[in-house]
Amino acid sequence: MTKEYEFTLKYKLPGQEYDADKLAAELYENGCDDALIGIGVAGKIALEFVREATSAEVAILSAHQDVLNLLPEATLIEAMPDYVGLTDIAEIVAVSRQQVRKLYENNAGFPAPLHEGKSGLWHLAETLNWIEQNKSYSFDPLVMEVAKINLELNLASRAKPSSTKLISNYTSNSQVIKEYLVTTSATFSAKQALSSTAEVA
Amino acid sequence: MTRLRHSKKEVEEAIRYAEQNNWRVEVGGSHAWGKMYCPINDKDCRCGEFCITSINSTPRNAVTHAKQIRRVVDKCKHQQSTREEG
Repeated sequence: MTKEYEFTLKYKLPGQEYDADKLAAELYENGCDDALIGIGVAGKIALEFVREATSAEVAILSAHQDVLNLLPEATLIEAMPDYVGLTDIAEIVAVSRQQVRKLYENNAGFPAPLHEGKSGLWHLAETLNWIEQNKSYSFDPLVMEVAKINLELNLASRAKPSSTKLISNYTSNSQVIKEYLVTTSATFSAKQALSSTAEVA
Repeated sequence: MTRLRHSKKEVEEAIRYAEQNNWRVEVGGSHAWGKMYCPINDKDCRCGEFCITSINSTPRNAVTHAKQIRRVVDKCKHQQSTREEG
């Protein structure tokens, strides 16, 4: 059974010489017609997906692959939501920011922030996991599923060469992507790209 | 104002919603259906990449595409009002 997974992939393009209009149209035509594409920042592109798939893993990895098929040199800035502040967390669990701040300040077990400054940053999956175990707040389980995969993908895509094994697992995870291609009307170019990555492997 | 309508009713309605909220809509180019521009779109704007949003002529799901367009507009509105509150 498929579900609708919502997530945003943001990329840095390998140069400024892109015709953003044309690029967006090409992405729409090559598998990303279930995204809304933002082109308001030069040298970057953001795709807000609502993708139907059997799991968040299939949805997110196949979407990432769709983009890389067209833009193999693009760098994933972030699969979102993953890095979040207290306001974002509050919105997702539908309580006030103040309540989330209290959770953080009054509970030694609350996940440690990744960054603390004017505002703090956490991994959404880690905080939802803690909230799920310690509080009765309710939130969409699909958001949790997406946040977990985003966390893994973000860590893997920024890992240093010593961790390339993880990266290759993610960028050429053909099993997962094949599964997606079977369940949707896959584009020829996507299949072609898969077979070429299989040869390299 | 006359402009070409989007062939999907839901998307057309979402585009009108954007226009009502002062987004500028530009149809054409040879590629996607068109683009919509956030009314602020300056360095302080927090729409980010979605300050300029590309609109697909043939979305996989018109209802979803329309919903996403509305969400971009609402998020921008929300951020404007947050900023006004200081």
